[in-house]
Amino acid sequence: MASHQRNRVTAAIDSLIAHLVPPFPGDDELTAQARHDDSFELVRSILERHGSPAVSSDVNHAADLIKRKLIQRNPSQALRFSNLYTRLLSLPVLNQKWAILSLLYQLSDSPDPNEPPPLSPPKPPPPPPPPAPAPAPLPPSPPPLQRPPAPPPADKDWRSRPPPAHPAAPEPNAEEDAVRDAFSPAGLKTLPSDRPAKRSQPEERPPSRVAADDAPKKPARDVSIKSTLLADSSNVFEPSEMALLRDLPYTLQGLSSATMPFPRDAALKLPSTLPSPIVSLLHTLAEPSLLYRGLAAFVKSPAKGLLGQSLRAAISNEIRSYLTLVATLEAQIRRALSSVDESAPRGGIGKAGVTLKRCVVWTREATMGLRLMSLIAEESKSRHGGQLISLIHGFSTSHGDPVVAAFAERLLADVTRPFYDILRRWIYDGELSDPHLEFFVREQQAPHGAADDRKDAKAKGHASVWNSKYEVVDAMVPSIMTADFAQKVFLIGKSLNFIRHSCGDSGWVDAYSKTSSKPLGYGDTAALETSIDDAYKTTMRRLMHLMNHRFHVFDHLQALKNYILLGQGDFIALLMESLAANLDRPAFAQYRHTLTAQLEHAIRGSNAQYDSDEVLRRLDARMLQLSHGDIGWDCFTLEYKIDAPVDVVVTEWGNRQYLKVFNFLWRVKRVEFALSSAWRKCMTGARGVLQTHDEHVLQLWKSTRGILAEMVHFVGQLQYYILFEVIESSWTELQKAIRRDDCTLDDLITAHTNYLTAITHKGLLGARRRQFHDQLREAAQQQQQQQQQQHQGSAAAGGGGGGSGDGNASGSAGGGGAAAASAPVEDRNSYMAQLSELLHVMLAFRDCVDGLYSWSVADFTRRQEADAAGLVMRPSKKAKLSATSSSATHKAYGSTGGGAADLDDPFLSSSATASDGGSHAHLRSELPALQERLKQLGVAFKSRLQVLLGDLAYQPDVDMRFLGVSMNFNDVYQPVKRKKHASASGGAGSGSGSGSGSGTQHQQQQQQQQQQQQGQPVVGGGSFSR
Amino acid sequence: MPPPSERAGKQAAAQQAVDILHEIATILNTHLDRRTLSICISMIENGVNPEALAIVIKELRKRGQEIELEAAAAAAGVSTVPTRRR
Repeated sequence: MASHQRNRVTAAIDSLIAHLVPPFPGDDELTAQARHDDSFELVRSILERHGSPAVSSDVNHAADLIKRKLIQRNPSQALRFSNLYTRLLSLPVLNQKWAILSLLYQLSDSPDPNEPPPLSPPKPPPPPPPPAPAPAPLPPSPPPLQRPPAPPPADKDWRSRPPPAHPAAPEPNAEEDAVRDAFSPAGLKTLPSDRPAKRSQPEERPPSRVAADDAPKKPARDVSIKSTLLADSSNVFEPSEMALLRDLPYTLQGLSSATMPFPRDAALKLPSTLPSPIVSLLHTLAEPSLLYRGLAAFVKSPAKGLLGQSLRAAISNEIRSYLTLVATLEAQIRRALSSVDESAPRGGIGKAGVTLKRCVVWTREATMGLRLMSLIAEESKSRHGGQLISLIHGFSTSHGDPVVAAFAERLLADVTRPFYDILRRWIYDGELSDPHLEFFVREQQAPHGAADDRKDAKAKGHASVWNSKYEVVDAMVPSIMTADFAQKVFLIGKSLNFIRHSCGDSGWVDAYSKTSSKPLGYGDTAALETSIDDAYKTTMRRLMHLMNHRFHVFDHLQALKNYILLGQGDFIALLMESLAANLDRPAFAQYRHTLTAQLEHAIRGSNAQYDSDEVLRRLDARMLQLSHGDIGWDCFTLEYKIDAPVDVVVTEWGNRQYLKVFNFLWRVKRVEFALSSAWRKCMTGARGVLQTHDEHVLQLWKSTRGILAEMVHFVGQLQYYILFEVIESSWTELQKAIRRDDCTLDDLITAHTNYLTAITHKGLLGARRRQFHDQLREAAQQQQQQQQQQHQGSAAAGGGGGGSGDGNASGSAGGGGAAAASAPVEDRNSYMAQLSELLHVMLAFRDCVDGLYSWSVADFTRRQEADAAGLVMRPSKKAKLSATSSSATHKAYGSTGGGAADLDDPFLSSSATASDGGSHAHLRSELPALQERLKQLGVAFKSRLQVLLGDLAYQPDVDMRFLGVSMNFNDVYQPVKRKKHASASGGAGSGSGSGSGSGTQHQQQQQQQQQQQQGQPVVGGGSFSR
Repeated sequence: MPPPSERAGKQAAAQQAVDILHEIATILNTHLDRRTLSICISMIENGVNPEALAIVIKELRKRGQEIELEAAAAAAGVSTVPTRRR
């Protein structure tokens, strides 16, 4: 087998020689054979010498070499080679792939044998490819110098080259060498060789060898020159660098040493004997020492809060790693010092590898960290809680140096831990466990420390558990979370807290916190956000569920609308009917039990009885605080009681708004009621007692009915507007807002507040001009005072007779005029004031109509009596009969018309109507006064309405403008523009002044009437006696 | 002896191997032609040290060049290359 192999090799050598060495053409067979044998011998010897492959058969080694070479030269070829190589490996046929590759590698970039060097034909011995350095047999004789060797001797650092790696190849291609050198992993070791050509190779060998000898000396001399220079220049100083190095670890740990003591906390004393370069080195080294001392002191100092503690812990961790560094440094120093050669210059410290300068370099990065930490520690003294996190987070996100940013980020992970603990407790348990006030949610302090704006909020009625228990401190929101996010977190915790404490559902909260609680930590913001979003949704849903099903918020809102906003018409109508008689009496004559009884009656009698008990038991009727002279109408109010958790939605402020709206609506309703009853009386009376032949009286009745119809129209429009345009549409919006799926309690509260605001604003209740608010109130007070005075006056004068209502109304109108004179424009600016004036006027008018009616009835009776007296001349019995009949009609009027006084003694009034000639004249004289009064009230009504329409026409709100349009549908009224009104106010003032004059006139007339009435019993007595 | 089909497959594989190696040789600028390459491969497969073989090839090339130069100098006629086969 072996011989067979040898034979094959021999044969291969033969063919190789034959292939590569062409026979010399001039030779004969013999010489050719000799030449061939010669070659064969040579080959044989070479092969023998090398024998079996020396290199271990590592397939990848050769391939790696090739690849590296190719990458240096041409990366795309390297890629191609890799492909080929993998394909080659997959082939089964070859056993010695590595060897082939190695061969190829060594042959790579060999000169082309078929290309005769045309440049040097004269030179018989062409420069052969150089042999392998040492073992090459038959080294060719050095050819004559072709070119002087260009490279300077020191050019090539042969030492650093690995010559055995390619014993045959390197020399032929110098450029290749240069490239390899330039791209070698160790960088540019030598200058690129500018050896011009391979021809000079043999020439180069001696110089390169010289260089190889010289090279180690050259850099060595460099170093030695420097070191000797240093050694020369540096005087021997005391303490020596070695002593300093020995003490350095202690200094770095902040401990005093013999050479460098710490006299104070923030000072390091350097030996004064040192030269300045060393001093400057020590300065640099002193920085970490001092910083470390400061930080160590900071870490030991007591922390203010949990975050402060965690900051200290994090810093102490970092300091520990610094100490590890110092320990390593110390070990290095010790080893170096032990191996140091004392006799060498500078104690031989330059050789030992550890110098002060190196220590500076080694501690450099640590110094940066210490610097940052001490900055943070310094800043943290004035900051607190979330601000601290913001501070560090600021470093981690906005600092340009990535090292600092990474450091701060690392620090942040530790520092934020207590913060996230608090956060977790807050969003999963709804408990604020923050003993050091570090969280951004905070329990609100006692009101005495409250700022003004909170007082305002309280005044607006937001001082509920929901709104005032906790607050967000904006300054404490750390910058790791956005404001939105913080708000959400705040809301979650607040809701949980609310559910637990106000809704009494702590069981759910506990279960919730058990199931969904998970640790939070700095870093995965996305996970944090999703978990908080989940918590938010769950909590809000639960809260709304509770509000809806356990506390019936929606039902309460519905009930408030039905009862307080007069949505339930049948109930209100019944209540008003049953209460009307009662409420006409003065306020002090109202008793709660009667009111509640009537309320109960109204509930039983209307559809309200089908409402749930939960709602009905909250409904209550009561009197407002009564001021002197009020009648029942002014004081009566319905009330809907709201208790604990629901009062978050329907706040105290909301309740007041409801009451305000109710009072207004109640008054409108009352006027409507009064007007319609008057209208009914007129209509029924027209077919009976009001029939007369007196043209004048008929005309008066006609105009009165006209004005009455106007008023009914006005009230109808107003009521329609408020109930349907305002309340119902706002209600729809409220429903839309609160029936949404993702509605939160805050949304609900806001929606409800908006609802109320819309109603009060559009319902003409809101003060339109805020700046006049105070003046308005002033004017109202004045008005009230005057009213009271006049009440007293009228009470003194009439003792509350049938006409006292008139006097009251006219007095208030006059008072309004006076107030308008004192505070010119303001009270007319408010729709509320305008409307209440209008309502007053209407009530007064109603009373006047009643007066006219009673006059007509009296007139009718008188005429009938006269007729009877004229027809039948039997006076006494008939008269008596008619007197009783007329008294019956009068009585009926009294009960419906609300003239309270004459209910008491029907006989007196009946006797008054049953008047003879003397009283007849009085009766007659009443008519012009009544006529005058009716006319005046009609004019006042019209002018005020026109002003109101003028205001409404220029309203920004469409609905309110539309109210004006519907009130003035056929342009009966000319709306008075506000601009004119400034001048017109004087006129109005004077007009009302004349009104007040007429009022007084009327009062005089009343007094006359009363005197007359007082006189009447005598006369009546006379008639009786007759 | 393997059956002829296997033999053919082996030959094809060897052919492929030579192709690949020749390509690599071209990439590496070795100036080996296919014939030389296959001779080298067979030698190496028979246990010849690749380093030595590399030296041999270079040596032989040198000789060939010398002879060529001599021939050029002598300006003798066309050389006839005797081909020797194993």
